[in-house]
Amino acid sequence: MPVTTAFCTSFKRQLLQGQHNFTNGTGNTFKIALYTSTSTLDATATAYTATNEITGTGYTAGGNTLVNVTPTSPTTTAITDFADTTWASSTITANGALIYNANATNAATITLGFGSDRSSSNGDFTIVFPLADATNAIIRIA
Amino acid sequence: MSEGFGSVGSFLVKTTNNRGFSPEEITEDLLTKLIFISTESHPAIRDQAIAFKDQIRPVIVHYMKQVVRSDRTTLAAQLSKQGHHDMAEIIRRL
Repeated sequence: MPVTTAFCTSFKRQLLQGQHNFTNGTGNTFKIALYTSTSTLDATATAYTATNEITGTGYTAGGNTLVNVTPTSPTTTAITDFADTTWASSTITANGALIYNANATNAATITLGFGSDRSSSNGDFTIVFPLADATNAIIRIA
Repeated sequence: MSEGFGSVGSFLVKTTNNRGFSPEEITEDLLTKLIFISTESHPAIRDQAIAFKDQIRPVIVHYMKQVVRSDRTTLAAQLSKQGHHDMAEIIRRL
């Protein structure tokens, strides 16, 4: 089974231990790595791994650094999000992604399953994150 | 996707072949984040929000195209200054 979209279990524990800071500018550095369809990343992921990570033109191992959206709590739900990220002028194929904290021993936060292989060929590969509100944000804690 | 305590929102993966994204395509992503119209909002408010969205769309596309053109001018000027006149001309004609 390829990468599935999930909120990592270890991330839940680490939030309660205060290991992650999503504040824009002063918080931790979060990165997003892309994976092939051979990867089985899911809620049990605990850290970034190079196993089954994609390779290709325009992609560097470890992935892109994300721009954090400072957490807010617009309702009883707390949220955080990221700015869209692009692998420009790339020729790559990916089936899923892992967002991890580069400042916390590369601890896994969430996994994103694309549902199928997605490819760019001498073009752009972009992940468009949702609107940062209580019903859409990429990471929500209700 | 909901897993009780925490949820992961919906995201999109967009790709291109042999080109980048156009100002029109990027504008749609931008508008989605600038103006979110809930399906549950009052019809009058929803109509007004949709009208506003439609009104600012061409303005944003126009200025995005200006940015692209201006950046190409800078690139062409730099290439020309370095003696790469052929490449500068290619950039100018894009």
